[in-house]
Amino acid sequence: MINILRGSAWCFEGVMDVDWEICPIEHMNALHKDHTKTYEQILAELGRYCMTTVDPEFPQKARPGDIIVGGEGFGYGHDHDHACMSLRGTGIAAVLCEATNSNFKRNSIHHGLPVVEVKGIMSCTNTGDELEVDLAKGVVRNLTNGKNFTFVPYPDFILEILEAGGLYQQLTSQVKLGVYS
Amino acid sequence: MSKKNVVQKILARAAGKEEVATGEYVIVHSTRPVTLGGGGMGRGPSQMLQTGAKKVFDPKMIKAVMGHIGGGDPIFIGDQARKFSEWAEKMGIPRENIFDLGRQGVEHVVAGEECWALPGELYLSVANGHTSSLGALGGFAVTLSYESGAYLVKGYTWIQVPEVARFTLSGKTKRGVFVRDVYEYALGQIGPTGTPGQVIKWDGPYIDHLEMDGRFTICANALFSSAWTAIVEADQITLDYVRAHSSDPFTPLYSDPDAEYAQQRVFDVSVIEPQIVPPPKRTQVYPVSVYEGKKITRGHIGTCANGRMEDMRVAAEILKGRKVHPEVILNITPGSTFIFKQCIKEGILENFVEAGVFLPPPACGQCFAGANTPLGSGDICLSSGTCNYPGRMGSYNSEIYLCSPATVAASAVAGYVTDPRHFL
Repeated sequence: MINILRGSAWCFEGVMDVDWEICPIEHMNALHKDHTKTYEQILAELGRYCMTTVDPEFPQKARPGDIIVGGEGFGYGHDHDHACMSLRGTGIAAVLCEATNSNFKRNSIHHGLPVVEVKGIMSCTNTGDELEVDLAKGVVRNLTNGKNFTFVPYPDFILEILEAGGLYQQLTSQVKLGVYS
Repeated sequence: MSKKNVVQKILARAAGKEEVATGEYVIVHSTRPVTLGGGGMGRGPSQMLQTGAKKVFDPKMIKAVMGHIGGGDPIFIGDQARKFSEWAEKMGIPRENIFDLGRQGVEHVVAGEECWALPGELYLSVANGHTSSLGALGGFAVTLSYESGAYLVKGYTWIQVPEVARFTLSGKTKRGVFVRDVYEYALGQIGPTGTPGQVIKWDGPYIDHLEMDGRFTICANALFSSAWTAIVEADQITLDYVRAHSSDPFTPLYSDPDAEYAQQRVFDVSVIEPQIVPPPKRTQVYPVSVYEGKKITRGHIGTCANGRMEDMRVAAEILKGRKVHPEVILNITPGSTFIFKQCIKEGILENFVEAGVFLPPPACGQCFAGANTPLGSGDICLSSGTCNYPGRMGSYNSEIYLCSPATVAASAVAGYVTDPRHFL
């Protein structure tokens, strides 16, 4: 199981709107009517615009496995999941934030991206810190400054969704196996 | 077991457990229909098809409302509507469950009229975060969003039990100040992250005297303070409303007197003036007086926030015997076919037509640029819709100011932003 993640932190404090700061919605509107692209192609296309209104070079700077650390407003606004896809498209492996919009959290998990509320993390993390996250135990370790945090661990049924790469990846396998018809 | 709030009780029931704790992850089932919306295959059916699944969990538990686009995009509707009809028939969804063009409306408005959400019950919708509006019926109402297609197959979902923010509204509003003003005022006080991931429980004397339309309004915009949803616990007003609209059985649930809340605030509504929310920020709210006299070119009344009978009535009161300003286009979109019919019965439609109002068919329509009358470059619009971000209703070079239907109607007559009390 992919329960333990390790990556470099990117800190984005304040309100990060799914339709603007995370990924301007116009880019999803453009893709909506194109039915020829695969899921992976859409992730990559949306990833090109991830966080660019805040840091224009973020998609080039972010490395697969990196972890975003957010404040109380990361994922603000509507339940528009293109933002979750955009984050995955840049290779972001997890979002840790002070608090979040529940729709953003659920949509992210269903797209294979863990989002976790970790109180106190923003003030104790700098961009570039090395973080280790254990989703099953509910522990975050900052390997750069030694600070540790706890959070409500993910239950097995969520870990299984993430293991499958997302809800629909999981469901497609289940349909093939006859769990659902 | 005491010290439980209404959300903990509803989710315990939905999870089949004695009790649940805030922060706990639970698997939940709903006894209420799930609402598909949008228009055409949209979110839900198209996702389900991609998995290879051929059956829905229970076709009788699926409702569909052609609400977002309504009649606004002929090419989209022509192609998608046929595909949806064929899919629905294949799944065995009863024809009467489908509120197609001719019975259409805003998904959340129709859901409220039909009481698909009920006191004490989990209610799920495909449409969007404004599903929170249905919390006015005393249940836990949220959107499935990306998960919708999977829900259609599986018939259950999971929830991490959220915190509850208790907002008590005391006092009486001044004449000419409406529930939309109360909501925006409160939002301005608490800010975009005022209720992160929480459920807003609205209560207090102002709520006790508020009719159902107003409760749907105050619950509709929960997401702008980062709340997941909102709720008004069922009282006699709720029970009378539900009994008039549904014969389904239900048992309301209520917070214990010593229930725990993540935060509690009291707002005195008697100090509130008519409010306005200028672009581009959603939570910077001002009294209308700050913008008095600003010329406008467009007006819009409708949506899941303010498209119901009380909104139509106040607009009609202001427009009766008056004309929309010659340099303004006022779009009034009743929230549902039922409301449209009621407007005919009450003579409201005649008031609107005589005043020179543009009347599209019921739908979300103008609220977003999928409408038949998008804003053009340079348009300044007062709207009772939900969002004011640039480009929302059309051109990026247009401006949207959010306010109550009364303020929209008054300003559309004046030709500039004005306090509705001048016309009431």
